Amino acid sequence: MNKNIRDTKHKNKLWQFPWGYRESFLIAFFLLLSGFLIDLIDGGGVRMPAWPVNIAIIIIFIIYFILIHYLVKHPIVKWLSSTPAAIAAISTFTLMVLLLGFIPQTPSPADPSLLDSLGLTNVTSSWPYLMSALYLLVVLGFTIVRRFKSFTIKNIAFLLNHIGLWIVVVTASLGSSDMWRLSMGLETRHPSYTAFDSKGQGYNMGFGMILLDFNIEEYPPEVGLMHNRDHTLKLEKGGKLATVKEGTTDILDHYTLTFEKYIPFARKYGDNYDTTSIAGGARAVYIIAKDERNGNTAEGWVCDGSYAIPADYLILNKELSVAMTQLRPKKYSSDIRIYHSMDEYEDFYIEVNKPVTIDGWKIYQTGYDEPMGRWSETSIIELVRDPWLPVVYIGIFMILFGTLYLIWMGKGRIKTKKA
Amino acid sequence: MTWLEFPTYILLTSVFWLLALVLLLTPKRSVFHSLKGVFLFLGWASIIVFTIGLWISLERPPFRTLAETRLWYAVFISTIGIVLYYRWRLPLMLAYTLLMAILFLFLNYLNPDTFDKTLMPALQSPWFIPHVIVYIIGYAFLGFSSLIGVYGLYLYYKGKEVDRTLLMADNIVYIGFAFLTFGLLFGALWAKEAWGHYWTWDPKETWAFLTWLSYLLYIHFRIRKKQSPKTALWIIALAFVVLLICWFGINYLPSAQSSVHVYSS
Ligand code: HEM
Repeated sequence: MNKNIRDTKHKNKLWQFPWGYRESFLIAFFLLLSGFLIDLIDGGGVRMPAWPVNIAIIIIFIIYFILIHYLVKHPIVKWLSSTPAAIAAISTFTLMVLLLGFIPQTPSPADPSLLDSLGLTNVTSSWPYLMSALYLLVVLGFTIVRRFKSFTIKNIAFLLNHIGLWIVVVTASLGSSDMWRLSMGLETRHPSYTAFDSKGQGYNMGFGMILLDFNIEEYPPEVGLMHNRDHTLKLEKGGKLATVKEGTTDILDHYTLTFEKYIPFARKYGDNYDTTSIAGGARAVYIIAKDERNGNTAEGWVCDGSYAIPADYLILNKELSVAMTQLRPKKYSSDIRIYHSMDEYEDFYIEVNKPVTIDGWKIYQTGYDEPMGRWSETSIIELVRDPWLPVVYIGIFMILFGTLYLIWMGKGRIKTKKA
Repeated sequence: MTWLEFPTYILLTSVFWLLALVLLLTPKRSVFHSLKGVFLFLGWASIIVFTIGLWISLERPPFRTLAETRLWYAVFISTIGIVLYYRWRLPLMLAYTLLMAILFLFLNYLNPDTFDKTLMPALQSPWFIPHVIVYIIGYAFLGFSSLIGVYGLYLYYKGKEVDRTLLMADNIVYIGFAFLTFGLLFGALWAKEAWGHYWTWDPKETWAFLTWLSYLLYIHFRIRKKQSPKTALWIIALAFVVLLICWFGINYLPSAQSSVHVYSS
């Protein structure tokens, strides 16, 4: 099956064909070196070309693989689809990703350190990274073309994996320059027209959007024992919090807590809490805490507080109090109206994990005014346009099917091992 | 069922499994030897009961915290060990997987988690469970294959034959690698739905990808038949280090201060 298998033990001179590991790794080394040099001298990093240059590059790439494969019978072409080349390419790429994994990716262009100048604080747009990715893609490309002849199941799985990966890497990187990711804050009172990219550049969207309603569904409130000295929660081994539910009791440490009354939207009136319909209400619970060691009881209101009213604790003794944990959103959602023109509008609903597509934009719920919590009058959404997405998905699904075969067949060489 | 009952269950599991391992040493034909299956099952059943109980009491799948993933790791690796034992009679592997599982349960005993019933909104997705399950299965297989690699290194330096060991590692890597690929790709599809982009080079993603690349390297290194077995064994052993960094080490890396995936503790 493999024409270029040869004994690696038998060493020939460096750069004498056929090339093996030494040559493959040396080439990788030179590629990285030149990448670092370009970054040092030029300092700008790599800018991926946008449509239609990127599609042209891809087509030229593919034609180039096929033509070279069929027309040029040089040993270098053979080497380009050999395992040593693949190993060197995968290792080099892995090395670059390792650097990415260890070095914080926070470039400081104003005052560049050596790491910045080498592009290592922004690996994915550095030249050495691009070089290693190119090496990988070229070797992968030639490997694919060489196997494009017999369509046994094994070969199909091979092609699905390798072509799928090629497609994903190429389209995800070259396609990134055609992707738009904008963020927009919507308000209840006035429509918003401008969205911002990650650099803070604003874009007029050509339509206006207004927030009709913002909703948070929250987890049930919980109380725990808190150290008075530093306001940290006291948690025993496997320590737990008690879930507040009117009319129930729970045990924390040596204390039995009875939840007498719970008010989901409360405000303090004198010493007492009562339901309020005004914005800014917090959650309050009336607790009777009994110390099981001595029978002492303490009782009072515990409140988590909001932007409008302070939190309240039930003091048990010098060390401990009962406190309520902050509201945690279970899910949040927005009702939004989009104005295509003055009198033509459309309403839609979005929730985390449930984006909608409108006018070619995929719209995601990403945030809200957190200090305001459930009283937020702002909803933050993200608008994404990614024309290459379907192609990336094709690649992803090809790999999924290709690797299914790996599970199914395993390496499958055990039986023929003696051959 | 909550973490408070956890000690009882791990005690049961550990005792049953240790008994089973002792019985494994008795002569093949003795009654004791055949009894080991019973103890294997009892140990397994008690940890499964606990896991299901925890799931029910938390009212969410227990995949959120580090302790919860360790619990699942113990469940999966012991299951794999027991299945492989009955399929191919690999007593050493059975011992390894059970001891690893006990170790992980014990780590949980020392570092239990606080009760965390909540799941941030982005994690409430139908992708969540498949994503984590395939990852954990992948990790269990790959960790297992790397241990075989370490065992192979031991054989190699004692001057013994390692071909068969490597072939076994190959098959297990293929399976684990496929699951890891699924984990990565499911993660990408999910991220697209939840955050608007399929890949953001978040530290957890980066390290999962590195793990994937390490085993990819191993797979390709093993394609040629006459490769040095020593190098192959070292690759697979080192790949495990990357896997461990991905799983546990991330929280300590300077590059990971803002990962959305770092397990809360
Ligand atoms: C999704 C990722 C990948 C998977 C699952 C994968 C899997 C495989 C498998 C299972 C084989 C053995 C096939 C056989 O012998 O029939 C193989 C061979 C090979 N792969 Fe990959 N691979 C992947 C990525 C890559 C990459 C990134 C490269 C190169 C940069 C590469 C280059 C090669 C080469 C050169 C061969 C040998 C082909 C031959 O002998 O005909 N692969 N790959």
